[in-house]
Amino acid sequence: MPREIAFFDALIPTILLALIGAAVVSWTLDWVFARYRLYRLIWYPALFRLSLFACLFAALGLAIY
Amino acid sequence: MISALDLILPKSRLKRALVPWQSLLRDWWREDAQVLIYIAKVVGACLLALWISLKFELEQPRTAMLTVAIVMQSRTGMVFAKSFYRLIGTIVGITASFVLVALFAQERVLFLSAMAIWIGFCTAGSMVFRNHQSYGFVLAGYTICIVGLPATITPELTFDIGMTRISEIMVGLVAATIVSDLIFPQRMWNMLLATVRRRFKDFSDLLASMPDSMSRQDHGAGAAALRFAGDVFDVENFRASTALENDASRAHRQRLSLLNAEFMAVSTSFHALEQLLRRQQRSSHPAVVHAIALAYKPLAAALQYDGRSVRTEVEAGAVLQGVRNAKASLPQRLAALRLELQEALSEDERLDFETGAELLQRFADELVAYAGTYAALTQQGHALDIKEAEEPPPSLGLHIDSWAVSLAGLRGALALGAMTCLWIFADWRSGIEAITLGVITSTLFATSPSPERTIRQFSLGALIGTVLLYIANFKLLPYAQGFTMLSLALIPGLAIAAWLTTRPATALVGAGTFIIFLLHIGFNSAYSASPVAFLNDAIADFIAIGLAASMYALIDLSNGRWSHQRLAAALRKQVVSACRDALPQHRVRFESRARALMQRAKGGRRIADAQDKELVDWLLSTLETGCAVIELREEMQSMKDEEALDALERSLDRIAGLYAKPDSASRVAALISIKETSALLNTIDMMFRIAPTQRRTILTILHALRSALLDDDSVLARKAPLPEVVHAA
Repeated sequence: MPREIAFFDALIPTILLALIGAAVVSWTLDWVFARYRLYRLIWYPALFRLSLFACLFAALGLAIY
Repeated sequence: MISALDLILPKSRLKRALVPWQSLLRDWWREDAQVLIYIAKVVGACLLALWISLKFELEQPRTAMLTVAIVMQSRTGMVFAKSFYRLIGTIVGITASFVLVALFAQERVLFLSAMAIWIGFCTAGSMVFRNHQSYGFVLAGYTICIVGLPATITPELTFDIGMTRISEIMVGLVAATIVSDLIFPQRMWNMLLATVRRRFKDFSDLLASMPDSMSRQDHGAGAAALRFAGDVFDVENFRASTALENDASRAHRQRLSLLNAEFMAVSTSFHALEQLLRRQQRSSHPAVVHAIALAYKPLAAALQYDGRSVRTEVEAGAVLQGVRNAKASLPQRLAALRLELQEALSEDERLDFETGAELLQRFADELVAYAGTYAALTQQGHALDIKEAEEPPPSLGLHIDSWAVSLAGLRGALALGAMTCLWIFADWRSGIEAITLGVITSTLFATSPSPERTIRQFSLGALIGTVLLYIANFKLLPYAQGFTMLSLALIPGLAIAAWLTTRPATALVGAGTFIIFLLHIGFNSAYSASPVAFLNDAIADFIAIGLAASMYALIDLSNGRWSHQRLAAALRKQVVSACRDALPQHRVRFESRARALMQRAKGGRRIADAQDKELVDWLLSTLETGCAVIELREEMQSMKDEEALDALERSLDRIAGLYAKPDSASRVAALISIKETSALLNTIDMMFRIAPTQRRTILTILHALRSALLDDDSVLARKAPLPEVVHAA
């Protein structure tokens, strides 16, 4: 994967796109969890959400580098 | 197991000795500890943002810290909402700066006038929207100063300046949201629930005191109406902030909105009932008032739980059946009373009774709906969801005064113009700082109910901030080495500012302290404070704040007779459009619009003087007449008879005329027209042409309207006194 992508001739880091992608995926998962009340099973939802996001972002980042 | 304490003290005495400590501890945890936790959160988030910025070698770590200070609030959901709008506002503002720099970088007059237009536009936008959205607009406006002005000096660096700014803000937002979400999060839901509970309790207190409080001639009604209007928008604002928060509040958003709409309806009906009884007490047969009060009492009594007002939605669920029964038996009670009164009353007095009965019936329906929604608020059932799907309650819209909006825009643009003139002609080194702060202060407080007081508090905060800044910049920071010592040097200032923001009375002082302290804190990536720059910046700050204060004093939209009259006229115009619009309005929309006008002007403040009281009276009069008019028009839609419709249209037009231009002549005209219409509906001919139930409903509405217009205590009577002759008639 290229580390920088040209966006209207401005070079933006690919990791920024990964960040946005991870945010979208984790929001979707968050919605699903809330909709089916799966947060009942989790001790500290806020921490879980953050960790989930960190995992997703790290996975995407590792895929790039 | 026997502990050491048990040996010293007998068990029961030990327990007794500990009781005061326990309650003390609990109080401390509930109040002081929360404040300490909040301060620790703010300071922690600031330092986290600072650390990340330094690690990433961003140019101005202070922007990240300032962002934290701005978005940090005690409720997690609010932090999310404000962060979201801060991000959007910044992105829009930076994009606008890019465009302006690309177009006019060489031409400073054109550049600055385009900037003034943009800022004016954004300030006007901030007046149209509420809360965080409004803040987003302000931010889009002043970001152009922060990014665009430095860019005029070095146009080739514009893109870098913009990107750095947005990265710093992102760092600040991430730090603030993570800290407030992870460490002792305060969920919106608890706050919403508390507000909704308090409102229901207040309302049932009011219901319980109703027949007795009638005799007292106080103006509790106005105060209650203003407070309830405030509550409606509080709940709406909290509800809007829950969009990004993930707890019970998101699942219940629809329900809360329904609850709000029902509350508005029931409080208006209650007020109408109260007014009607008050008027009847003076003019009608005492038996009528007594009978209505008698029929009303079981309703209020059913709402009591164990002899006191209902405190939670669970208790409301327990009394709900009782309220339903009271409502179901209401027609019987009214029929019995009607029979009893038959002989004693004249035709007019009987109509008085019917009007009261009709209103009571409507009030009971709405009360049951409101109590039912409230009781079901936290239930997980699906009974309510079906109802919600059928008819989502209309949202509380945006209602603006276009004059006020454009004047606020003008004010923002003028502030920029004045500061830039000073900058250009005096060739002043701190000009950019002064312009930025001047624009921030003269746009940020545009939506505050009393900008003058706001800016006074803000400048006190700026003073404190400057003192703290001096100490930090020249006494502490020069000795700091490494991140730990840097943090130690910053903590006192941050903590004092955060503590100021925790108390409602000094919240704005705290905001001023924070902004000044962090705007000029003496380091970027290395120590960079110099006494000359410090003095220059301090002078620039105070000139900017002084300019903003004089701008608010010059273009004052919140106080003074002019704005009061405009507001009263805007309220009356609601009635006019309720009468004259081609299609009848939705009642919830009408009510929320009238209340929004009031809320925007007065905020949650108490009624301070005679002018304020007059405004509240106009609000109540508008609500009462407007709702009756809307109801009448709904009835008229199903009517066929041309002659009666014509007469009713004419009466509506006269009422509209009265509210458009309240004077004695139009009041007399409206009263005569209503009387004529009632007389027409009472002819034998009409009795056959219109269905009896419909005829009775319309007659009672007309009667209610007429008695509202006749009322000598109302604000209408003060504005448009009736000539003596009419009185006698």
